[in-house]
Amino acid sequence: MTPFRKDSANPTMVRDYGDDLHIFASRQTRVALGLLVVLAVLAPLKLSNFQSTVLDYAGIASIGAIGLNLLTGFTGQVSLGHAFFLGTGSYTAAYLGGQRHWPFLVFLLAAAAVGALVGAVVGPFALRLRGNYLAIITVGLVFTGQHVFESWTSVTGGLNGTSVAAPPRIGPVDFSRLVIFGHRFGRDQGFLFVIWALVALVALTSKNLVRSRSGRALQAVRDRDVAAEVIGIRLARYKVLAFVVSSSLAALAGALFGSYQQFVAPGDFGLVVSLQYIAMIVVGGVGTTFGPILGALFITAMPRLIEQFSDRIPGVASSPGAKGITIFSLNQAIFGSLIIAFLVLEPRGLAALWLRVKAYFRAWPLSY
Amino acid sequence: MSRSTQLRTAGSGRRRTSTLAVAVTALLTVGLPASTLFAATAPKVGAACTKVNATGKDKSGKAVVCKTKSGKKVWQAVATTPSTVAAPTATSAPAPSKGLSKTAGFDGKTIKVGVITALSGPAAVLGKPLAAGQEVFWKYYNEEKGGVAGKYPVEVVLEDNLYESNTTVQKYNKIKDNVVMLSQVMGTAPTLALLPLLKADNVVASPASQDALWVREQNLFPIIEPYQVDAINAMDYAMKSLGGKSKTICAVIQNDVYGEAGLEGLNFAADKMNFDVKTVAKYKQGDQDFTGQVNDLRKAGCQIVFAGALPTEFGKILGTSAQLGFAPQWIGQSPSWVDSLLLTPLKDYLTARVLIVAVGPEWGDPTVRSAAEYAARVKQYKPDQKPDFYFTFGYFQAQATAQLLEKAVAMGSLNREGIVKAMNSLDKLTFDGLASDYPYGPPEVRDPSRFSTMFKVDPAAPFGLRSLQFNFTSDAARAYSFAKAK
Amino acid sequence: MNDFLQLCFAGLALGSRYALVALGFVIIYKATGVINFAQGSMVTLGAYFAYNFHKTWGLPFALAVVMAVVAGGLVGALIQRLLLRRMVGRPVFGVIMITIGLLFLLTEVMASVWGYDARDLGDPWGIDTVKVGGVVLSVKDLWGIALAGVVLLAFFVFFKFSGIGLAMRAAAFDQEAALARGISVRRVFGWSWAIAGAVAALAGISLGSGPAAVTPSLGLIALAAFPAMILGGLDSPLGAVIGGVVIGVTQTLTAGYQPEYAAFLGTNFHVVMPYVVMIAILLVRPYGLLGTKEVHRL
Repeated sequence: MTPFRKDSANPTMVRDYGDDLHIFASRQTRVALGLLVVLAVLAPLKLSNFQSTVLDYAGIASIGAIGLNLLTGFTGQVSLGHAFFLGTGSYTAAYLGGQRHWPFLVFLLAAAAVGALVGAVVGPFALRLRGNYLAIITVGLVFTGQHVFESWTSVTGGLNGTSVAAPPRIGPVDFSRLVIFGHRFGRDQGFLFVIWALVALVALTSKNLVRSRSGRALQAVRDRDVAAEVIGIRLARYKVLAFVVSSSLAALAGALFGSYQQFVAPGDFGLVVSLQYIAMIVVGGVGTTFGPILGALFITAMPRLIEQFSDRIPGVASSPGAKGITIFSLNQAIFGSLIIAFLVLEPRGLAALWLRVKAYFRAWPLSY
Repeated sequence: MSRSTQLRTAGSGRRRTSTLAVAVTALLTVGLPASTLFAATAPKVGAACTKVNATGKDKSGKAVVCKTKSGKKVWQAVATTPSTVAAPTATSAPAPSKGLSKTAGFDGKTIKVGVITALSGPAAVLGKPLAAGQEVFWKYYNEEKGGVAGKYPVEVVLEDNLYESNTTVQKYNKIKDNVVMLSQVMGTAPTLALLPLLKADNVVASPASQDALWVREQNLFPIIEPYQVDAINAMDYAMKSLGGKSKTICAVIQNDVYGEAGLEGLNFAADKMNFDVKTVAKYKQGDQDFTGQVNDLRKAGCQIVFAGALPTEFGKILGTSAQLGFAPQWIGQSPSWVDSLLLTPLKDYLTARVLIVAVGPEWGDPTVRSAAEYAARVKQYKPDQKPDFYFTFGYFQAQATAQLLEKAVAMGSLNREGIVKAMNSLDKLTFDGLASDYPYGPPEVRDPSRFSTMFKVDPAAPFGLRSLQFNFTSDAARAYSFAKAK
Repeated sequence: MNDFLQLCFAGLALGSRYALVALGFVIIYKATGVINFAQGSMVTLGAYFAYNFHKTWGLPFALAVVMAVVAGGLVGALIQRLLLRRMVGRPVFGVIMITIGLLFLLTEVMASVWGYDARDLGDPWGIDTVKVGGVVLSVKDLWGIALAGVVLLAFFVFFKFSGIGLAMRAAAFDQEAALARGISVRRVFGWSWAIAGAVAALAGISLGSGPAAVTPSLGLIALAAFPAMILGGLDSPLGAVIGGVVIGVTQTLTAGYQPEYAAFLGTNFHVVMPYVVMIAILLVRPYGLLGTKEVHRL
């Protein structure tokens, strides 16, 4: 029995374990999320093709990042092999959706299943290897994966890549040609609905997984796996579980990536992609539910935003043939610097930054 | 500035008799050296202004200016030399009687074209010269010809794709409603990723890769012969001039689409000319050691080796070969070459053993009039530009795009359908004799040029290449047919 | 047989370059527990420094090499001083991410300064060779191998006899205990980054020698040096060298024989080979050949 009256209006005041387990901490959170949903539904009406494209890719990345976060953020297994799982999903979509014409939802599920299967094969490596050794061995996964993508021509199209003719058609509704109340959505806008609905679904599932018994087991493994084993958590089961869930989500993201981009090639799944995913969860906030989404938005949209403004910086050449730094190099350099600045100033990521802002304004105007 | 505005108004006011206007403009231009040729307000894409034209100064210090006034960016180009160009030649057909209607990428004054190329990251080594070629051509075209039809200056909207498919798609969506077409998309994979979108939007794009895949595509606007043709012609040369019949022929290629294209041509030539390709050694970009590959070639007793490589790796391959005492006749595909290889200890080996197959005459060749003109033009508009195949390719692309736009203007529409229609009714693409004509038309009848040029390495020549046989073709190259991409 | 020896020599030469890159990884890992993803950029930077001093400024090659090594060391120390010093005590993960950020940043900075074109380092070895039996040994490769050997030896002496070397060993062994003994862990971190930068410069010079070999993507080799580093054990300098040589030789032998005898493995299997070897060895020995086994306690 708690001696205090439960006051769910204060989201950061956690008084008992039950509070901690609430999926949405407070009424405000629920209202805020509700508004977010409304916004998400209305946004495609207003967004330009370009903005929609950026958000489409960001949404796809969010799903992959949530997956990686479950593995790395919650279970503590650092993986640089995420690009490989994404690729698995993309090529599954290309083959089942494109060549075999399976329906959208079916090939998405199939891709997730294939991802899970591959994850189950790779997972046991984590039983033998730890920390940095595991991280580097997953680098090997990316390179071996690319070799497979380049060599298995009948499915992957080899070096040339393969087109993915797998439209997002659910029943009679084709989201790439969506018409609602006479309003005709563009392909990029239509995809927003599919992708971000899946982001919401995946985020919810992940949040639920984390607060379940299995989720607690995963976190125990992260915090100290030997100790976890001693208190009766079966390491083998949970490490493999984390890999399975994470890679199936990556594959799901990959399938969406293929379906949206309509073409994939081995170059889309290089080590840089893995690094970007790591960057997403670190910048967003490791081990939080919304961190990966924020991180994905940041990493995907930031270069585009920088481009909007970098040409205003004086002394920077904009001609491709110019000597010295060009705005194009500058974009990349600023991008790298931002990641650095972020981690030096707020290593807990964007999610923590958000909490800080929230904390600041809670007592406003009396905060100091 | 004010005079320029008058001039501009005069030009647009006389659209009804626009041929006359063009002639007047041209005459005025000739008569008024250093007068402003055009001044246009870029309405929305201030960014494009800076990106394209804020190159700073050329020699005279006032070539291109980019100003920001009350949030609006105005750009103007000032002719620095007396223009010697008469009325534009390409507008053979009189423009339609009523003015061109505005459309995406055309505000009635300026035509905008998109360039999506790798401008940062490792692929920028190719992407930057590609884009610079476009930059120089459009500068020249706007200043000396007054733009398309003598009155519509062309502005480039430049985007960096990092050589990535997904970035390319994003950038395409960013600029597609702001350009009439894409005059450059770099990379095979990025182009393939763009293809479904181009088809859906009916946008025309010119791929910056010499792939045979592009020839039959409705929305692509390829220029220059594909690598396959170069490889076939190189083998023809080897058979006829290097005694190839009695020699062992091999290849070393980069294991990617570019390398495969050359190999396809080689195998086709082998079939037509009845020789065997004894060994094909493959490597991956970034490889550091080539002993294995070179050993393979050496063991197979190769005497002529076709190389589809890039300069860094080509240098390493040749270095390893020289050290192992392996000295066949190398025939490199054009992207294998860069003249800085001559600054290395390999100079003698290169001079003795390496031929390059490419398109066009040697840089500034005094015997080919247009080549000298081209070299002078590049010197004028971009004095520090080094000769470079990629630069020339970008220049050719812009040149082809200019012909397409001229045609579209002549046919009365710059909208997407108009551009496609113009592309399908283009008779041929010409490159001032720098490369042979490319008979054009609807995708089914396009007939890529089958001509190539053989070069030998010569440290004394500009770009280190001296032409051996200029613009030649072969029966096998003529017999090569192009299928549609799947 | 000659072919085989020739390939082995090439492998040794390649391996010595992997080893130099891996040594840079190891020293930072040993002191700070961080895998430095920017090591590849530091390698490229070292090559450009040497190019700049030798070709642009016209200094003698040997002097240029020494200056490049010093400059590389300074850059390493500077990175640690400006960025990573604030991260002491913070999660290792964040530090790794910073090095990834540095990778993006340094790559473009270098491209802006030196452009994207391939440069020739102008090393005095050129394409000279020495013939021993039927095997052709390239002088530049012999120097590369010697360099790796010397650096390894220097590491050994440094850790064994120098004060700062001992402090580094102590800090690597137990940070808190070292602090308690009055060892400045920050200084140790600074030194380890400086040494990594200097070794990276040497690796860059070794890799950048040969015809027109200095390019912005030179540092990509760091990815192939991962297996070398991990194979020997993340924290063992000797392991890094052995790992480098094993990976180098396997790779050249694969490139030499796989297309003929094991074509079913696909084109360019030699690119993947280091990773296959790495996975195989790690499954048998989870801490590499010479890595320190972590002790797990509750």
